[in-house]
Amino acid sequence: MLLCRMPHDHDENHAHHLLPAEPALRVKALETILVEKGLLDQQAVDAIIDEYEHKIGPQIGAEIVAKAWSDPVFKSALLRDSEAVLHEAGLAGRQGEHVVVVENTTDIHNLVVCTLCSCYPWPLLGVPPAWYKSDAYRSRAVIEPRKILSEFGIDIPKSQSVRVWDSTAEIRYLVLPMQPEESIGLPVSELARWVTRNSMIGAGLPMKPADNQV
Amino acid sequence: MKPPHDMGGNPAEPVIPDKPDEPKFDEAWHRRVLGITIAVGAMGGWSIDASRYARESLPRSDYKKFSYYEKWLGGLTNLLFQRGFISKNEIQSGHGESKSPLEWRERILSAKHVSASLAAGAPTRRQGAKPIFSVSQKVSVKLPSDTLCVPIGHTRLPHYISGKTGVIIKCHGVHVLPNTNAHFLGEHPENLYAVEFQARTLWEQSASSLDSVVVDCWESYLEQA
Repeated sequence: MLLCRMPHDHDENHAHHLLPAEPALRVKALETILVEKGLLDQQAVDAIIDEYEHKIGPQIGAEIVAKAWSDPVFKSALLRDSEAVLHEAGLAGRQGEHVVVVENTTDIHNLVVCTLCSCYPWPLLGVPPAWYKSDAYRSRAVIEPRKILSEFGIDIPKSQSVRVWDSTAEIRYLVLPMQPEESIGLPVSELARWVTRNSMIGAGLPMKPADNQV
Repeated sequence: MKPPHDMGGNPAEPVIPDKPDEPKFDEAWHRRVLGITIAVGAMGGWSIDASRYARESLPRSDYKKFSYYEKWLGGLTNLLFQRGFISKNEIQSGHGESKSPLEWRERILSAKHVSASLAAGAPTRRQGAKPIFSVSQKVSVKLPSDTLCVPIGHTRLPHYISGKTGVIIKCHGVHVLPNTNAHFLGEHPENLYAVEFQARTLWEQSASSLDSVVVDCWESYLEQA
């Protein structure tokens, strides 16, 4: 029975055990080896960190959502062929090459998860938050989404269905949340501030900027 | 036995939402692991599928104990070793004993190419055959073990939909098949479908008959129901 053994359960493949026990030292050791072998440019590492720390984040997805709220033509194109629209906008990069936008309505609430790892639309939302990567979220989102949503302070009415998208392939899902009534008519730049990161995962709702946390 | 990375449906603790001021990275070394993994990956020595397989192949005890970026680090170290980029002696000593072949040193990502490399990504859509299944068609899902291309290999078919029946709601086009690609056995692109399962067909205790779960499935994971 093959399934009782895990992939690569042979010591010879587990070279990672040879690194120091302390994770910070483990990283330092691997980085040193790679630099000395000529396989790593440390300035490239710094540049990647800078991109995800300071440039690529949920404000990018929020702008797309705000534009969809205020421009019906853009919204229908986005829902029909998000991949083409985002490609055109230069937003189809690493871990967001093939994005599908799913719309929340009064009938349906969408929630995104990746049960097998932590796939997430990086070019639109940046690095995933800790809760999204947690074993608890990966385990429970598909089996008890309403309970998880209540842990995020959202109560879904019985009449509204919950559709959970498990990102098992290279398709990344972005939720287009419902626009709050009181934000209708505001300019796009202001609307983007209503769009929370969690609302684009389906684990939150848009909020008035002052109350807007994550 | 389900592998540890296949978590869908497992009993687990409450989810703790992050606080408003939570940093993007909890530790400085987390950022470093992210940067190193992406930079080294950009050399083109392996695919995203091989990276995922390396992480999920960590010993069960490590997979459970490791934080997200420790899994990345463990997977990267093992891949670098298994593909012959670094040796055990080097890992043990913490130093590179010799320069890598020029062929690889020429391919490393430089700082000035970082933005373009991230913006380009690595699309997985390919040209290929027309889809066998169509939207609204009922399909049933094979066992994960029946989709493996090597013993104890990689699949993106989660156990919780194994043997279940769902309905195709979208065809995503033809995409690289992870089951072969993770093992350096070629891309073998196939049609990929979004398949919707009624929650009550997956879980007896499901809260609502209105709820559903959508899972992306390659054609070879599916059979006509």
